[in-house]
Amino acid sequence: MKFRYNITGLDCPNCAAKLAASMEKIDGVESAKINFLTEKLTVESSLDGDTLLPLLEKCASAFEDGIEIE
Amino acid sequence: MNRKKLKKRLKRLYKSEPLRILVGLCFFIPALILEHLGFEAISLGLFIAALLLSGATVFISAFRGILRGDVFDEKLLMSVAAVGAMIIGEAEEGVAVMLFFLVGEWFEHIAVRRSRNSIRSLMDIRPDTATVLADGAESVLDAEDVAVGSVILIRSGERVPIDCAVISGECDLDNSALTGESLPISVKIGDELSSGAVVLGGAVTAKTLRTADSSAAARILDLVENAQERKSRAESFITRFSRVYTPIVFSLALLMAVLPPIFGWLDLTDSLYRALSFLVVSCPCALVISVPMAFFGGIGNAASHGILYKGGNVFAPLSNISEVVFDKTGTLTEGRLIVDKITPADCAPEKLLSLAASAEYASIHPIARALKSAATEIYPAEEITEFSGKGIIARVNGISVAVGNSYLMAQLGFSVPNADGVYVALDGKYAGSIGFADEIKAEAPAALERLRRLGVKRLSMLSGDRRENAERVGAALSLDEINAELLPDGKLSLLEKKIAENRGSVVYVGDGINDAPCLARADVGIAMGSLGADSAIEAADAVIMSDNLSRLPDAVKIARKTERIAKQNIVLAIGIKALVLLLVSLDISGMWMAVFADVGVAVLAILNSFRALIGKRK
Repeated sequence: MKFRYNITGLDCPNCAAKLAASMEKIDGVESAKINFLTEKLTVESSLDGDTLLPLLEKCASAFEDGIEIE
Repeated sequence: MNRKKLKKRLKRLYKSEPLRILVGLCFFIPALILEHLGFEAISLGLFIAALLLSGATVFISAFRGILRGDVFDEKLLMSVAAVGAMIIGEAEEGVAVMLFFLVGEWFEHIAVRRSRNSIRSLMDIRPDTATVLADGAESVLDAEDVAVGSVILIRSGERVPIDCAVISGECDLDNSALTGESLPISVKIGDELSSGAVVLGGAVTAKTLRTADSSAAARILDLVENAQERKSRAESFITRFSRVYTPIVFSLALLMAVLPPIFGWLDLTDSLYRALSFLVVSCPCALVISVPMAFFGGIGNAASHGILYKGGNVFAPLSNISEVVFDKTGTLTEGRLIVDKITPADCAPEKLLSLAASAEYASIHPIARALKSAATEIYPAEEITEFSGKGIIARVNGISVAVGNSYLMAQLGFSVPNADGVYVALDGKYAGSIGFADEIKAEAPAALERLRRLGVKRLSMLSGDRRENAERVGAALSLDEINAELLPDGKLSLLEKKIAENRGSVVYVGDGINDAPCLARADVGIAMGSLGADSAIEAADAVIMSDNLSRLPDAVKIARKTERIAKQNIVLAIGIKALVLLLVSLDISGMWMAVFADVGVAVLAILNSFRALIGKRK
């Protein structure tokens, strides 16, 4: 399944790429892409939406404060 | 809930750079004064406080970076530089570096936000709500919640929220947000409205044909937002470059710290200072943002002209075109037949046309349509007999009218020259022929001339139509090469030959219905007039939403400007960084210059990219 979120609070495109890379390490996440300019996060995952979002949020808040995903 | 909100607010405040800069300055300035007056110990304390308070978030992220094993993190590099400066006794410079970095970040965020907002306002074509009529009552719903087949009301001045078909009312439609064409078109019952268009001069009710998510506006936005995923050569160059750049500068910094003291060229403090400055410059952020930012602006600008680039990868080939190959019907021509030439044998031309049109009145064949729109008078027809693939015989005003091709004439016993068009026989007597032509688009000559002025060397045509039709159009537009009577695979193999022969890129322009293979194969495939045709959008690299050919030179111009800005950004970013590295190693510049080479360059690149976003609307 493909999930799309808005992601705000990222600092720079480099950080965005790094965050996406660390999201890809979550179990059940096949790919994660962050478009820094459009502030969109696209995740391909076998998990369902309700389990996935908290995991992504956890990953983001471990990365940097103030990143919001919805 | 309130507590959560408060926490969010605080977090945001704590992230905001101006506040941290202000706090930092509150300690930094007194510290500078005290240092000047000779109170070294107190001033050092204040410097440390200034660094910790203003740099807290930076240090925290840096620490997280270490935990992740990420040594090339911008924040970590900054922290090391600032703390390092403190340790080697350059306390004041350490704080200045941090403050300067924050100022740069602040500007960078403002600039990114500004560009994002201007793109959003360009792309603000999707209304959030729709007025739904059900059981005689109006209710305003979220556009996303409106079911297919609902009846919606759109008032004058409102945007169409969902693709729909008009069931009552008349209005004009401003499609400019979708197609870039500013001339409104009039709309009648039964016509389809695409979401994103603006209804003018009247209210209409319409039945929705799709959900909001699959309507035209949403699909266009999706295309533009995802355009970034197809990477251009410049983008992958800069990504690869930054991947080697950072480790190289990082190792240079290490050498800078270690070698000079060993050989006795510099003392340890001096070389450490230079090494720390190197660290600051080694951050790749300005490089990484330089190219996509320019493309983002270009894609947004083009979208407001009704030109959709599907990715940054079209900019380079589109700025260096050597040949443009056109499909004929629907691309260079209107794709609509008009009566071109009437050759009567034995009757008045108007009469011939009127009778032929009357006989064909019930038919929807393109030829019938052309006859009907050309005829001044139309009479009722009876006893209509259609001969499939040949023509029609009917009785009009008591006259037996036969309209058809040479096969029909042969069946009636006439021998006629095989030509394009139809023959007419009246009461069993051959009466003449009517020829048709596909009208060349009015803007075509000027658009092609502009392409030539933009440096396109060769304009050619690949057509499936008959040679004489193709040659007539080709000659009228003075094309360099005309290929006619081609099947789709023939078009493709000729196109492939052209791609192999040309040094620059070959652009294929088609209306997208049967051109998909060529659109996909060309260096740049441009589909025209494809509002709604998914297969064309799929195959093409760029889509011109209207069928106006003048958008083609516009598309080339925007691509060129964008490509130029992207290249400037690359040169700017790499150039300034290299220059600062040189200046730092020669001790001409200090650490503050290094910070400029990091965040300042990013800000400059973003501001420069802003130019790609701005473009005159024709």
